[in-house]
Amino acid sequence: MTAAQPLLTVDDIHAAYQPGVDILQGMSLTVAPGGFVLVIGPNGAGKSTLLKSVFGLLSPHRGKIELGGQPIGGMAPHEIKRLGVSYVPQELNTFPHLTIEENLNVGGWTLRHDKARLKERFERIYEIFPALAGRKRDKAGSLSGGQGRMLSVAREMITEPRLMLVDEPTVGLAPNLADQVYELLQIARKATSAAILLVDQNVSDALRHTEDVVMMNLGKVKAAGPVSEFGEARVHALVQECLLG
Amino acid sequence: MFSTELVAQTAISGVMIGVLYALMALGITFIYSIMRMINWAMGEFYMIGSYLQFMLVAWVLGPDLWWLAILISTAGVFLLGLVVQWGLIKPIFKKPPEMRDDYATVVTLALLLFLRSIATGLAGPNQFTPGSTLPIMMIGPMPMAGARVAAFVFALAALGIFWAVLRYTWYGLALRAASQSRVGVQTAGIDVLSVDRVAFGIGVALAGLAGALLAPVFLVFPTNGMITTVKGFEIVVIGGLGSIPGALIAGILLGLIESFGAAFIDSAYQNIYGFLLVLAILVLRPTGLFGERGREA
Repeated sequence: MTAAQPLLTVDDIHAAYQPGVDILQGMSLTVAPGGFVLVIGPNGAGKSTLLKSVFGLLSPHRGKIELGGQPIGGMAPHEIKRLGVSYVPQELNTFPHLTIEENLNVGGWTLRHDKARLKERFERIYEIFPALAGRKRDKAGSLSGGQGRMLSVAREMITEPRLMLVDEPTVGLAPNLADQVYELLQIARKATSAAILLVDQNVSDALRHTEDVVMMNLGKVKAAGPVSEFGEARVHALVQECLLG
Repeated sequence: MFSTELVAQTAISGVMIGVLYALMALGITFIYSIMRMINWAMGEFYMIGSYLQFMLVAWVLGPDLWWLAILISTAGVFLLGLVVQWGLIKPIFKKPPEMRDDYATVVTLALLLFLRSIATGLAGPNQFTPGSTLPIMMIGPMPMAGARVAAFVFALAALGIFWAVLRYTWYGLALRAASQSRVGVQTAGIDVLSVDRVAFGIGVALAGLAGALLAPVFLVFPTNGMITTVKGFEIVVIGGLGSIPGALIAGILLGLIESFGAAFIDSAYQNIYGFLLVLAILVLRPTGLFGERGREA
């Protein structure tokens, strides 16, 4: 969060699912190009709502969101996607009745008129994830939890985004699979030079992979800084403060 | 009484009408599978298709160009569907999803009453028929009304095109994906509201096509969509809401049951036989033959 030209700027946004009940109450953060920012906080802090607001699934009624200096607040998700933002939601984001190849094709929707580029991206994805290449004709519903998560991330990598928004990627996964998911995100980041804005409850594992941390409480920033400032003891104390008021 | 010829003729006639019923059910289930809402005004789009067919054949093109009239009627209902989705349905879907299907129910029920009243006001309670110059055709040794055979062939062709579009085109892929995850298609950069518009257009166009094809058989009047809509919902219950293969198979099943019931029990109770099948399905397999698990498109 130290770069002079942030890739993503979220500035004092207020957003609500129901009028008058703001979940985000003046949330602000920045993500540097190629950076890795972890957002943590207790349940109900507004972490997932933050990602939904950035991706356009929810329109903030106050504040501004900019991508590379361009205002994107209030844009529709498909428009934000075309500007180079990908979103991996918390629930498994695959189409179970479509084959793995069809799932990846849907991921490449914005490149559908550029067959050569799409083919090249497919080859790259299959190279990075050989497990998917071997099962491309299988239905996505037949994949295990970890492989399903792999497909979710691979689908969002096809467009080689500038920014990946990732919401609790390890929820419901066995601990050994959780490690694989973090590796997966690092692979995605290296392969596409994408910045990552990760929301996670699995704090101790996620801290090992991030560069910057933002702690949220009640819809705004409680604490923020480089990961070196977020030792386990401090995180523990901050969480206690949030919960006990 | 149970001659092989009669059984064969009844079966053929049942399959023919069943495929046409399936068009209506497919429209209902297709819109539901993408938008998770029931369009209660489907029968009115059927009715509009039948009126367009009548007007085009009787006043503009003549009975020999009935096939062109069917294409124009279907396209007309498709365009009307795009306008209705844009003006009445899209505003509901732009808001967060709470009670979306409740609002959609109110809006489409109001649309049902509005369109039916307009038809009654403009055309009166009269029954019209576009007429048909198609001769009796022989299916094997069996004679069949030309209009029914033509309607069956057209319906099969429409189902084939519908399937091919879903299976082999980019837009078909988007429609199949949207039926499985609306958030998923949005994360892929697909404009889900535009997918809704096309899905709604296609869904009501299937009803309009059924109306145009059945106009010479079931006549044209303001409430002619009601019976076909009820049959459409029966098929949806039998086949399973959201299941496209279920709609086709259940449509044929309903056509066969009605046809055999009318031929071998009593034709006065033709509409009851389907309900008996619906009751049996609800008792034995409440999710329908293909339920949620069979949903693919």
